[in-house]
Amino acid sequence: MEKKAFHKDIVIIGAGMAGLTAALYAGRMNLSTLVLENGLVGGQIANAVSIENYPGFESISGGELIATLQSQAENFGAVIDEFDTIVKVTLNATPKIIETEEKIYTCDAVIIASGMNRRKLPLPEEKIFAGRGVHYCEMCDGHAYQDKIIAVMGGGNAAVDAANFLTKYAKKLYLIHRSELRADEVSQKRLRQNKKVEVLLQTEIKKLHGNGRLESIDIFDKISGEEKNIFVDGIFVNIGVTPNTQLFSDEINLNPNGRIIAGEDCRTNIAGVFAAGDVREKEIRQLTTAASDGTTAALLAEKFIRSLNR
Amino acid sequence: MVKVYSFEACPWCQKVKKYLESKNVAYEVHDIQLNEEDFKACVKLSGDNMVPVITADDKNFVVGFDKPKIDALLGI
Repeated sequence: MEKKAFHKDIVIIGAGMAGLTAALYAGRMNLSTLVLENGLVGGQIANAVSIENYPGFESISGGELIATLQSQAENFGAVIDEFDTIVKVTLNATPKIIETEEKIYTCDAVIIASGMNRRKLPLPEEKIFAGRGVHYCEMCDGHAYQDKIIAVMGGGNAAVDAANFLTKYAKKLYLIHRSELRADEVSQKRLRQNKKVEVLLQTEIKKLHGNGRLESIDIFDKISGEEKNIFVDGIFVNIGVTPNTQLFSDEINLNPNGRIIAGEDCRTNIAGVFAAGDVREKEIRQLTTAASDGTTAALLAEKFIRSLNR
Repeated sequence: MVKVYSFEACPWCQKVKKYLESKNVAYEVHDIQLNEEDFKACVKLSGDNMVPVITADDKNFVVGFDKPKIDALLGI
């Protein structure tokens, strides 16, 4: 069946903090605005249990913050499609073309806010135990580990926050990281004060064992050189993220890490294409900077669209 | 009737429910955190304790938001 074609002023790829903020601004400027998301609306913070560093909120869940932002954007006319998947983009063209599984969109401007994906556990057994002891979403899968032994792998804020959340289920929780913790002091202190928790630093996970589902792991202490096996029912992996830029790599300039090269004005190497949020090459990646990027990208995209219509 | 084993705070469960609504598929929510029997039924059906689990006949099922598989399961 031939795909139907539609025209939008602006298509925003990704519905995380950057994409939804851009949608809110674009909607308020009366631009016909489409947001395409093939994962979770909210992106990386959709699963966040408690956000304590977003200005104006002492503590708010990621779901609650995103639901409000989504409503704001939709109230100003932005349309969010979270069920159709992009198969191809042609950005160096007028108009720009975004082809999904079901439709073809042409548009005057594109904001890429496609964010990041969690890095997979780099062990061959990952494929065997994914969903059967190896997990990437503590909010979704943590409930299955009531009174069980859980390991969390990683040392950043996401890992430590995941560990803090999972202590409500676990009878014992290991936080395992190959170097020192980078998470903020407040989260680290909260974790270390919990008697269920054992923090294993300078420690690597070498192998996973189990019969059908995960039962134990081999860990290696880099300081002592000791390797041992410990029983765990589940591992939650939080070892960083990779940018979602594969779709754009033919046309958009990326840095060696796969992030989009664009300055504070969010402009990419193609006129009318902007990059916003964690997908953009920059030093600081926070919710607040994602919102800032979304704002900048939407305002400059509107300026670009206006220049086309002169 | 289509059953969705899920719980309220699970974002992928919410996505499955929104998807079914977008396709006008009526479904029953079986909350595995609120109802122990639903939790047991979910584990018995899928052999594991992951959600969401979608089924129409208590035999064939899909775990997670896998659109092509859900479409095939429900004939959408």
